[in-house]
Amino acid sequence: MAYFKSEDEVYEFIGKLFENLAEDDELGPKFRKANTIVQYQYSNPKSQITVRMLDGEDGKVDLGPTEMEPEVVMTMEADTAHRFWLGKVNVTVALARGQMKAKGPVAKILKLVPLVKPVFPRYRAQLEEAGRTDLLEAA
Amino acid sequence: MATEEELIDARQMSGFKPFYQFQSPTRVIVGRDLISGLGFEFAKEGATRVLIITDEVIHGTGLIDKARAGVEDGGLEVAGVYDQVPQDSDSPVVKAAAAAAHEHGADSILAVGGGSVMDTAKASNVIFRYGGEPRDWEGYYGLPRANDGLGRPEELAPLACVPTTCGTGSEVSFAAVIKDRAEHIKFQIGDLPLYPRLAVLDPESTRTLPPQIAAATGMDAMTHAIEGIVSSEWSPHGDAFALQALRILRDNLQRAVEHPDDDDARGNMLIAANLAIQPTHTGAIGIAHSLSHPCGAHYNVPHGVANAINLPWVIEYNAAAGEDIAAKYRDINELLGLEVGGDGAAVGHTLAEYVRSTVRSLGLPTRLSEVGVPEAGIPQLVEGAIGDGCTLVNPVEPTEEDFAELYRKAL
Repeated sequence: MAYFKSEDEVYEFIGKLFENLAEDDELGPKFRKANTIVQYQYSNPKSQITVRMLDGEDGKVDLGPTEMEPEVVMTMEADTAHRFWLGKVNVTVALARGQMKAKGPVAKILKLVPLVKPVFPRYRAQLEEAGRTDLLEAA
Repeated sequence: MATEEELIDARQMSGFKPFYQFQSPTRVIVGRDLISGLGFEFAKEGATRVLIITDEVIHGTGLIDKARAGVEDGGLEVAGVYDQVPQDSDSPVVKAAAAAAHEHGADSILAVGGGSVMDTAKASNVIFRYGGEPRDWEGYYGLPRANDGLGRPEELAPLACVPTTCGTGSEVSFAAVIKDRAEHIKFQIGDLPLYPRLAVLDPESTRTLPPQIAAATGMDAMTHAIEGIVSSEWSPHGDAFALQALRILRDNLQRAVEHPDDDDARGNMLIAANLAIQPTHTGAIGIAHSLSHPCGAHYNVPHGVANAINLPWVIEYNAAAGEDIAAKYRDINELLGLEVGGDGAAVGHTLAEYVRSTVRSLGLPTRLSEVGVPEAGIPQLVEGAIGDGCTLVNPVEPTEEDFAELYRKAL
């Protein structure tokens, strides 16, 4: 059963997380060192988030259609993305199982993986603030 | 019947991993005179018109003539030979090899050569089937699949490999590493259809292998095995292959380098390299590779040479991080007949010294500065290492400063 009921819910939570990160004084500059534009293509529900992380430029997040041209495309179920931001997904395992697919210079994204740990509690806090205990209890 | 003490001392697997995935779909045939039977074996994989991909050095040894005869003897046709693969395969070469396959009307590919040749063949197989640029296919599990992308991947043309080094193990791996010379990076295309259908291990294929290359590629195999055992993505399946690879390396690497006419030693080294890569099928590898990849990309350091230099420092770094990691190095020391006592730092140092001693006795460089890596290059190398996928599966999570320190030590 999908955690998110609609595309809008994906943007309300995961999209909002990316937007907050783009503006974060501490983490934003670190993520922008990836120097790439990555697009997350989710299914179930079908949705898309494109994130510009270019060194020296402001971060930009497009929820849904975008004119940005991504360099890296990550494909996964929205549930996998949700569980990832709860700290419950091992990227290496997910790639091996095909739960995540990665197209493009994946190294640019993989070097961000060690940076995401501080983000996990922020996502949980975001869900708590929204009263979404159902999403917090995802397996 | 084992005593209670013997049972307690037996190596126990620590815990039960919640998930790992292991696969090894390539048919491997091992023995003598297999090159003369290449056509017979490759026909079983669906080949009829074969493009041979190799390099000029191998082509000049006469091995390709033997391979051609073997293919034709089995009733297959040799559609053509492409021999322009350089030391590090790059995008234009991959495209040219794919174009050659089309021009010659090939329906299958036979790679005869080292890691670069085999990786060229794998990547060109993707371009041969789907077109485009190699960078278009960069990534993991991105090839077209049935059922709207969720099902079984579509097959590529039959690919067989005859490795002539020992080695990368590319003849049984699912990834191709290609150089982008313009950007000074190495990128990977990894997906299930890239697995060769057939790997042929015949000591005849390494008869003319220069001892220095045998030494370097042998150290690459040793690095695969050791990193595979200690990686966060270790598995019992991977360990089975890696530990046996180390036994064979222990008994044959020196022999094969010092006595190149020893067919048995060379044959065993082919097996060792083939076994050693297998842990990577669960993603088990580590930061010796993370350190080495940028050395190759920026300074053309041969991969096995870079691994031989970087591995001992990585062993010491990892082993000192905790007893759970040190325990795995302790197992390796036991297998190699080394001292197993002491704390993690001691265990790591013992194994590292064994590796250094082996590298010296093989006549390989022992310092990155000997192979053209400057201290001023460290920041650029660190940037490459920290973003390398191998870093994610190291048992210890290194910082940029950790990488810089490892490079400084290796210089």
